[in-house]
Amino acid sequence: MKKSDLEKLKSIVGENNVKSDPADLYIYGSDSSVHNALPWVIVRPENTEHVQKIVKFANKNKIPIIPRGGGSGMCGQTVPIHGGITLDMKLMNRILEINMPDVYCRVEPGVVDDDLNMALKPHGVFFPPTPASSRIATIGGEIGNNASGVRSVKYGATRDAVLGMKVVMANGDLVDFGAHTRVEASGYQMHKLIVGSEGTLGIVVEATLKFVPIPEFRCLGIANFDSIKDAGEAVGEIMASGANPSMLELVDSIAIKAVNKTMDLGLAEVDAALLYEADGMVVEAVDYEINKMQKICKKHNGKDLKASYDPDERAKIFMGRKKLFPALSKYDEALSSTSLADDMAVPYSKMADMAEKIHAVAKKNNIVMTAYGHCGSGCMHTKILMDTNRKDQWASAKKAITEIYEYVRSVNGTTSAEHGIGLSKAESFKIEKANSLDTLKAIKKALDPNNILNPGKMMQAPEDWVTATDLRYSVNS
Amino acid sequence: MKTKTIECKNLKKWEKTLASCIRCGYCFEHCPISKYTRWESDTPRAKIIMAHGLVSGSLEPSDYIAEKLFSCFFCKRCETACSSGVSLTDIFIDARKDLIEAGFNITGTTTLTRPDCVLCLACVRECPHEARLLVDNKIITDPVICQACGRCVEVCPTGAALNGLDFGTSKQALQHETMEYLQKSKKSKAIVFACNWSYFPDLQSSIQVAADNKTYKIIVNMCGNRLEKETLIEAFLNNASGVLVACCPDGDCEHNGNEKAKSNVQYVKNLLQSINMDPETIHLVQIEHGDKSGFQMEIDTFMEKISGNK
Ligand SMILES: Cc1cc2nc3c(=O)[nH]c(=O)nc-3n(C[C@H](O)[C@H](O)[C@H](O)COP(=O)(O)OP(=O)(O)OC[C@H]3O[C@@H](n4cnc5c(N)ncnc54)[C@H](O)[C@@H]3O)c2cc1C
Repeated sequence: MKKSDLEKLKSIVGENNVKSDPADLYIYGSDSSVHNALPWVIVRPENTEHVQKIVKFANKNKIPIIPRGGGSGMCGQTVPIHGGITLDMKLMNRILEINMPDVYCRVEPGVVDDDLNMALKPHGVFFPPTPASSRIATIGGEIGNNASGVRSVKYGATRDAVLGMKVVMANGDLVDFGAHTRVEASGYQMHKLIVGSEGTLGIVVEATLKFVPIPEFRCLGIANFDSIKDAGEAVGEIMASGANPSMLELVDSIAIKAVNKTMDLGLAEVDAALLYEADGMVVEAVDYEINKMQKICKKHNGKDLKASYDPDERAKIFMGRKKLFPALSKYDEALSSTSLADDMAVPYSKMADMAEKIHAVAKKNNIVMTAYGHCGSGCMHTKILMDTNRKDQWASAKKAITEIYEYVRSVNGTTSAEHGIGLSKAESFKIEKANSLDTLKAIKKALDPNNILNPGKMMQAPEDWVTATDLRYSVNS
Repeated sequence: MKTKTIECKNLKKWEKTLASCIRCGYCFEHCPISKYTRWESDTPRAKIIMAHGLVSGSLEPSDYIAEKLFSCFFCKRCETACSSGVSLTDIFIDARKDLIEAGFNITGTTTLTRPDCVLCLACVRECPHEARLLVDNKIITDPVICQACGRCVEVCPTGAALNGLDFGTSKQALQHETMEYLQKSKKSKAIVFACNWSYFPDLQSSIQVAADNKTYKIIVNMCGNRLEKETLIEAFLNNASGVLVACCPDGDCEHNGNEKAKSNVQYVKNLLQSINMDPETIHLVQIEHGDKSGFQMEIDTFMEKISGNK
């Protein structure tokens, strides 16, 4: 970046809000994905006016600009594949309003999800999309990725919770999308389009979000299965039965083994387990849902069924799922848990096949993969455990991912359920959306004619994710 | 992306661990340093990324990197929060060793000694980490093991022992934050000083603008060692309705900061009593590491008590 450009940016946000040491660029060059590419500079806006001025400057000089929240994206969304300005939004972190009569809150994009929920709690309400990463995920990042979480099966994803927003467009204009009302039929619902756009269409500087009451009762249960197929079929039937779980999670044998190996939780070493939760204001209603789900689990050979309202018991039941990430990281000394083929969604009836497919593909390609996820929403996660030093393991991972996604598309599933596309999932995304890619490109072109907003992502990303950027791991030849 | 490397004799053994950090960022909200600067570059995750960069040869070592790796208060909250069970502070220590071997001489949070030190050796005797050393008739701090607890600064009779980078935890910074809050509020409000081991139960990274009717503010003073009598008194001079000090339970503080906090709170209690002010408006609580809800309960009880006292 030219010295004069750097000076200009400093004149907008102040010297203290600009960083360009090689170490800073390296740090901001990666996120929770496998990718690494360096920005030219990191700039922290403190307010909307800063954002507008930076974007105007970037647009005039055709400099890429990549909004970044917590940098916890798993597909390289914030990795600056074409360099440019990384716009760290974390200083715009104010909860502006909690409006109880009109049931919405207004926040700046750098507000962290957990903080918002902590501020909402005294009012007896919560913001439900809450991804597992809620202690770091910012509202801006959740909007960027259309994040969702364990309770989205009942309460929806970020897109369902966003009523409106203020956005700085690629030319620096500030616009209002959506409304402060529950429903809106006035035009294109642009705020819904911005959700999931991964920073490629505009920079969110304020969001209006709805919230829901915290239920009086929560009951969490578990059921073990000797066959993952049975567990998958139980999921399908639960969802088709009209049951209304507030959580429906699947963990497979690898996940259970990993947790048992690294923690003394004493989980039964079965082929799969389902965690199911119901919540509500009336205990009988919650009981009804739990009974309904347990009956279906039993029908599909579920065993060791138990459920509890007690918070400590619930925490115990959920512990295995909660500790899955550290468990996978420690599963085998020689293997690292990589964020690849990390999330997809398939129709309910294909859940069981999907999990089996993941295991078969892993075996065939000599890598370890696990199947787990918010299966009540049709969402399946995997992690690839591999020796990241070995080049051949990356080749195997690539083959495995291609096979997995071929299956996902063949059953009318989708490439991403909640983590987004970024760089890592572009290959499958482009195939899946082949006949609408031109439409997507036209929208991008119309809103960002100079292609400055997070360029090189989604439909613009290279097909081969392995070579798209440097990998953040050291890979021997 | 290869550049010049340092010989990472000590860091090398962590190569696999550095790769297994999944970069989730769960450590962000726990680090008092990055919460102070608000830069990702100061987070524990960033230190791991830099260590990885050094080992892999993707990053050239520099004073800038060394300063970051030599800045840590060793509260280890990042380790407790780590989703991958990474031993972060052990890695930081090994990075420090390698950087020193490569010739870097950086202070970071390490304590310093002014030339007018009279060599009384009080700090050498007092340092719980054996980091203060008498070498060639000079007091030096071993930057690898110094945990920046500030014990040496506290016991130095001449003021020759100094804190290194303090990230808002120096006496001046704490007093400034206290005064700023109290002077801004129209009504008398309370201050809660929390050591970073207490897992304070408040918003971690965001600010609530509207409807902020809280009657107290939590200020992180890192460790009881950093909480001077003057800071506590300053709060009352600025019309504080009360001061709550949170520190570790007996035997849990690695730097005896809780002992200092106790004695300073007692001192101010006596002082208040001697001038006919209510000594109960200053109170010390000992919080188990990580007991967020216990801490909130103590705050609520204290606030109720001082509001009832009025
Ligand atoms: C351990 C772990 C668990 C996770 N669990 C889940 C989960 O359960 N569900 C889930 O959905 N995701 C999950 N994720 C992925 C990720 O954490 C979430 O998608 C999260 O919402 C990203 O938030 P962030 O602030 O880190 O965003 P970033 O990664 O910083 O950004 C994400 C995207 O949003 C864009 N963006 C950021 N701010 C703005 C803005 N102000 N305006 C416009 N665009 C913006 C960025 O450019 C980028 O494209 C997980 C990640 C990890 C590491």
